[in-house]
Amino acid sequence: MVTALTDPYKILGVAPTASADDVQKAYRKLAKKLHPDLNPGNLEAEEKFKEVAGAYDLVGDAEKRKRFDSGEIDATGAERARPSYYRDYASSEQDHPYTDNSGFADFMESEDAFAELLRRSARTQTNRRGRDLEFRLSIEFIESIAGADKRLTLPDGNTLNLAIPPGVTEGQVLRLRGKGAPAAGKGDPGDVLIELEIKPDRSFTRRGDDIYLELPITLTEAVLGAQIKVPTPTGAVTMSVPRGSNAGSTLRLRGKGAPKHAGGHGDQLIKLKVVLPKEPNSELEAFVTGWEGGKTYNPREEVMP
Amino acid sequence: MKMSKEEFLSLSGIEHQTLGVWIAQEWLKPSGSSVDPSFTDIDIARARLIRELFVDFGVNTEGVGVILNLVDQLYGVRRSLTELRRAVGATPEK
Repeated sequence: MVTALTDPYKILGVAPTASADDVQKAYRKLAKKLHPDLNPGNLEAEEKFKEVAGAYDLVGDAEKRKRFDSGEIDATGAERARPSYYRDYASSEQDHPYTDNSGFADFMESEDAFAELLRRSARTQTNRRGRDLEFRLSIEFIESIAGADKRLTLPDGNTLNLAIPPGVTEGQVLRLRGKGAPAAGKGDPGDVLIELEIKPDRSFTRRGDDIYLELPITLTEAVLGAQIKVPTPTGAVTMSVPRGSNAGSTLRLRGKGAPKHAGGHGDQLIKLKVVLPKEPNSELEAFVTGWEGGKTYNPREEVMP
Repeated sequence: MKMSKEEFLSLSGIEHQTLGVWIAQEWLKPSGSSVDPSFTDIDIARARLIRELFVDFGVNTEGVGVILNLVDQLYGVRRSLTELRRAVGATPEK
């Protein structure tokens, strides 16, 4: 026998003929207003939410709804059994790791009596976790690409081992959980936050995941092509310079750039710079003087027609 | 009551992998090390709330993060209001 109080359709405010979609919508609308964890100030919410959740358990499930509609089962005992709500813990006197005072941190900054009371109440939360300690660490460019193990000495004399992962960027912050200041009460210690500063490198620069390098080559290597050794942040590799490579042209070493977040690596891009011997060379001068092709070719045709 | 990861998983009914994601998002903050985390009743209740947000409320991942952030701030404000009320009540009238 279904009475008004226990009729799940009435509780949800839908007709017994309502579609499953409408039942779900009705439930979500009520649950938003009644869920005790989301409405901690509403004292009646818990009782009402229990009813609503129980009703939804019954007619929100196609199989159970069919059995209920045919009278096979009734609404007795449909209330959702539930040991406790998040609200019960979050509002208790005991401190917990999810306390967040940032919602009124601005109020605590001012000088009035209200701010003083707030600060005092914040201090009484003795079990809050310890302070985070922040440091800056300067590392070499090569360490930022290849990663490195560092040993840091903190101002209090303690040492910390820090594994810098490959591919870190300027300003990135590494967090060492639990290595910060101990808590005043029973809370967990804070974290150590290390902001990385990457020293500029004489040769390499980084743009996104790609690394750029300007590489001097000889005239002979540029004209005839060559196999040359190229430095990369993870060690030298051999690269072939094609015959007739021009100064300023860029060669790409695939996968020799910085590690990407999504996996894989960027590229290293090498800009060639043809460098003549420091001292003038009579042999070269004699050759160039007799080289007709060098006089007829005008590389400035495009800029100075 | 402190409980191990295994106890937490069986009591909360969430999957091992799901737990990893929730911890990475800092939705759950167990104490202890990441190898051997330790949970309490509040973590169970919070995990239940998160699951209800996903399953019953149809909230997506971004939405859950936003809601938890606001929920934490709301409880922080409520807690301080409670303490303020006590402090004000205890202040003798001049």
